[in-house]
Amino acid sequence: MAEKFHTELQNLRQDTLGMAHLGRDMLRSAVDALIRQDPTLAESVILRKGEIHDMEVNLEEHCYHLIALYQPMAKDMRFIACTLKVINASLRIGRYGKVIAKIVKEISDKPHIANLMSIPHMADLVIDMVDDAIAAYESDNLTLTEGFSARDDAVDALRHSIFREGITYMMEDPKNISRCTHYIMVARYLERCADHACKIAENVHYMETGERIEIK
Amino acid sequence: MSENTIISTNNLNLWYHEKRALESVSLKIPKNRVTSLIGPSGCGKSTLLRCFNRLNDLIDHVRITGEIRLDDKNIHAAGTDVVTLRKKVGMVFQKPNPFPKSVYENVAYGPRVHGVKDKGELDTIVEQSLRHAALWDEVKERLNDSALGLSGGQQQRLCIARTLAVEPEVILMDEPCSALDPIATAKIENLIDLLKQDYTVIIVTHNMQQAARVSDFTGFMYLGKLIECGKTVQIFEHPNEELTENYITGRFG
Repeated sequence: MAEKFHTELQNLRQDTLGMAHLGRDMLRSAVDALIRQDPTLAESVILRKGEIHDMEVNLEEHCYHLIALYQPMAKDMRFIACTLKVINASLRIGRYGKVIAKIVKEISDKPHIANLMSIPHMADLVIDMVDDAIAAYESDNLTLTEGFSARDDAVDALRHSIFREGITYMMEDPKNISRCTHYIMVARYLERCADHACKIAENVHYMETGERIEIK
Repeated sequence: MSENTIISTNNLNLWYHEKRALESVSLKIPKNRVTSLIGPSGCGKSTLLRCFNRLNDLIDHVRITGEIRLDDKNIHAAGTDVVTLRKKVGMVFQKPNPFPKSVYENVAYGPRVHGVKDKGELDTIVEQSLRHAALWDEVKERLNDSALGLSGGQQQRLCIARTLAVEPEVILMDEPCSALDPIATAKIENLIDLLKQDYTVIIVTHNMQQAARVSDFTGFMYLGKLIECGKTVQIFEHPNEELTENYITGRFG
């Protein structure tokens, strides 16, 4: 029975990785659509909303079934607790991708201001963090997330810089207000995605060691 | 464990003939708490339990070294009265084993052996013990019926009442629910939770979920050694030892 349970846990991990990659890909595609001003790509991201929601429901149910049927202990319990967090974080990341994709559809008619400021660079940093968090969950490798605190600080600094730059462009010309507001919102969503990557990293640490850490 | 200790063992070893069943066990049992001992079959948990009231003395060719202290007194010291020790440290076994007597007589038996003769006093002890064992309401109309007519769960609670009747300090339970259905098990588990207000309970169980549900502290034993002992939440959430982790997650055992 223990063998069956551990096979179930492996399946759960694989399925959760599938969802995590979907959320990450939605975010990456949304940012690409923003950079390239590609409403078709943006629309394809929006269409995946239902898919990621279904995955969330199914994976959560899988977790609850495993808890109810096997009463997991110790590392197994921590793995399921971590997986529930990864599911939630992946959904949020995917949804931020969808929200950014919706913005793309609204602002693809005119060229970007200041070449999107630092948004492409910020997005690369954030998606790298998401990739490393997912890889840490996949491989139990905590070294991948060791520098997350500093990386999160860099993301926060970029968001702040985009905010200030956006305000400057708005003050220069009120016609920029709508577009710059969208940029500021995108920066805010990217920053939240980095926070979710940190949450995954914290939970992978708990899963592996049983100790709680906070990535500030 | 920084709690008040009621029983402690120091470097306890036990041999059955040449076979070493306990190896250097040092453990502190906190007072008014439930401590469970878990581990695979043959790991020595029942043997350890039976050390606490010297039940192993009844087995031939048992040799014990090391120390066991109850209320800070060595229970193997010369002059220790084993009957008094077993009054202080009562035991409930895996299979309910009521005497083939009435419900009343089962509970009154211990106090009578210890010299209580007054009927009124015995009545009080029987009622209080049955109430403490959460059995009174179910049997108060049938105190003179045979105890063997009770259900398995009721019989086990009767055995607990019988133990309580001699006012022990510690109650040892060796797989007390393994012969019971889930409802009877739940009643015994609720009872264990209530008992710790007045008694110290040490329970041996194969059922890890039960250990997790009922106990404040858990000790994991393997091949005669106490591998790890700590707060139940810590043991089941993040044990310190890999062996414990592997056992409680079903990777061996």
